[in-house]
Amino acid sequence: MIELNNVSYTYPHTVQPALHRITLSLEKGRCVMVTGPSGAGKTSLSLAASGILHHEYGGKKEGSVVIDGKDVTQYRSLSDLAQNVGVVFDDAEAQMIFTTVEEEILSALEHRGLSAAVIEERLSGIMKTTYLEELKDRSPHNLSGGQKQRVALAATLALGNDILILDEPTSELDEHATKRIAEILKDLKDQGKTILLIEHKFGQFHEMVDALVVLENGEITAQGIPSDVLKDDHVRGMVLPDFSAVKGIAGTATDSEPVISVQNLTHNYGNVQALSGISLTIRKGEFVALVGENGSGKTTLVKHFNRLLSPTGGDVIVRGKNTKDCSIAALACDVGLVFQNPDHMFFADTVREEIAYGVKNLGIEHGNEVIESALGDAGLTESADLYPRWLSRGERQRLGIACVVAMQPGIIVLDEPTTGLDGYEAILVINILKKLQEKGHTIIIITHNRDIAEHCADRIITMEGGKVISDTGSA
Amino acid sequence: MAEILQYVHKDAFLHRLHPYTKIAFIIIVSIMCIIATDLVFLTLMVLAMLAVAAYSRLLAELLQQLKLIIVMSAIFILITIITIPNGEILGYFIPQGIPVIGGFIPVTVGGLTIGIVLTLRFMVLIFAFQLFLMSTQPRDLVNAMEKIGLPIDYILMFIIALRFIPTLQIEGQRIHEAQLARGFNPGTGFIGKIRSVAPIAIPLVSNALLRSNVLGLTIDMRGYRTGKKTQHVRESTLQHRDYGVLFAMALACTGYIVLLMNQII
Repeated sequence: MIELNNVSYTYPHTVQPALHRITLSLEKGRCVMVTGPSGAGKTSLSLAASGILHHEYGGKKEGSVVIDGKDVTQYRSLSDLAQNVGVVFDDAEAQMIFTTVEEEILSALEHRGLSAAVIEERLSGIMKTTYLEELKDRSPHNLSGGQKQRVALAATLALGNDILILDEPTSELDEHATKRIAEILKDLKDQGKTILLIEHKFGQFHEMVDALVVLENGEITAQGIPSDVLKDDHVRGMVLPDFSAVKGIAGTATDSEPVISVQNLTHNYGNVQALSGISLTIRKGEFVALVGENGSGKTTLVKHFNRLLSPTGGDVIVRGKNTKDCSIAALACDVGLVFQNPDHMFFADTVREEIAYGVKNLGIEHGNEVIESALGDAGLTESADLYPRWLSRGERQRLGIACVVAMQPGIIVLDEPTTGLDGYEAILVINILKKLQEKGHTIIIITHNRDIAEHCADRIITMEGGKVISDTGSA
Repeated sequence: MAEILQYVHKDAFLHRLHPYTKIAFIIIVSIMCIIATDLVFLTLMVLAMLAVAAYSRLLAELLQQLKLIIVMSAIFILITIITIPNGEILGYFIPQGIPVIGGFIPVTVGGLTIGIVLTLRFMVLIFAFQLFLMSTQPRDLVNAMEKIGLPIDYILMFIIALRFIPTLQIEGQRIHEAQLARGFNPGTGFIGKIRSVAPIAIPLVSNALLRSNVLGLTIDMRGYRTGKKTQHVRESTLQHRDYGVLFAMALACTGYIVLLMNQII
């Protein structure tokens, strides 16, 4: 169905090719998973395989792409390609054009030249397979990240194409929701669809993947049947990382002083209770993993630590001070918060200036030394003069951490710090955190990755429906 | 968060009307309020909009933007008083008692009247468009606009501009929080406002630009621009109530013309 023959591609105004001599073949009814570090060219590959690169992007192109028996140059336009290929891009929000879920899917159906009866039938079929029935009247901004990703998938399915190309369709999802997507895709494969899947989570898709392709620096470094490809240690470390190797200091913190104490905390968004009666104490030097499904209240809880949210009821005491009596700026000295999407913070012209921003805001002494050491810790010294948005996702994630670390807060909170990273990049991030813990920082991470929680944290707090349902450190 | 200009899902009177009827409604209301200069008539039109909103159970949503409208109105009135002095002087912004600068900027009956007329027109227009957008599903809007003969590119542009308002609001909020967590403290007042622009606006615009690329590709890859004839489903046709409303509007138009001819409004 898709043949890439010796495809090389260089984006306009760049020298380094994004794709280099890619040869890949995807037969009908098969599923190929492409994995690799961030910035390796996975998205470029998905654009090449869908023909978008040839039709929509400038730059230098070599080699040939054949889609459904026809060379990509023979398709007249993207709309022509859209008759054969369905693409789900990585940014789910950008793929919601209309204002309700049902409209989104219906609109995609209405342009296929089908009869009204067939459209209704397909609509209800797709709503059912993607479990979107209850959400049909919701608007995009009222959906969670995972729900949006499902809508984007559903709208693409509505096209009824046999070839599906998916770029990280589960990046924002917890384990449960990822499983749901995996089940949907497996069904589609069983129906005879051809699937090109760009993913990091091989573990959850292994049942349906016929071939695994590893992409590094724009080149395919391994491809074949998953079990063969995974014999290689390097690939194994990338696809199925072993976090048990990252064990640092453990069990040191049980009797140290408490740095955060949450007392009977509740928080309401309007009529919805997001947190109900949370009490916990976090001690200096602990490495805490906060786990739980999307929407269980994890992010809401940590936003109370630096008063981005104020309690509806109860108290949050940080280093002996009630947050009610502190300003956000003052709390920023004690609690650093790294958000899930690092792109929400970058605005400076260089990586170094980006880190300097927080340092200047807090008026930290010996600013330059602090900035250089944060750059070094994050492994970004060589990138210090680059524009932050040119970095790969993994580097941007580390820059986000460096920005907060440079402000020298005693407590560092990270929301999903390993999203979109491969095994090696995730371990790199965890190692940075472990090093910070050794220096005496208290680390709190929100994560969907059970392996990371179990192997790297001293304590796991599990949340569900706004409550703490288990806490390994409370004994 | 108050959502600006978004469709509100409800099953009420305006929602059940055909998009054509509602388009006719906003066109007629717009023309009426633009031509009319009578204070009483315009006040009645504002009240009529509120009554329509209440009947369609959209009053609370309509009044969410009241604060903005009041501020805008105050600015309108102030500008017209300063720029279009006309007729009897009611008083002065700077009382005459103050030496040298006293007696400047007279508040005239003419200026005040024009200001209030403009404000009332502005309110009628805003309310009418808000009612239209809150009660019409964007997909119906697209279909209606397609039938009228507008090019699909322009229609999508219009829809997307509306659709992304709340997304940008939420994103702006997140960026603000991310910067607060980095000790962002722009200070208050005018200087603070200016200093606060870069750390919020740059990520917001950069992310939006990136997003627009994916959005554009999505539109193409969903085949919205194939030029194929669209098969509309669940298309609503004009119902009795539509004819009723259209008839009522025709009556209102006749009455309006009579009033105009007799120079009452």
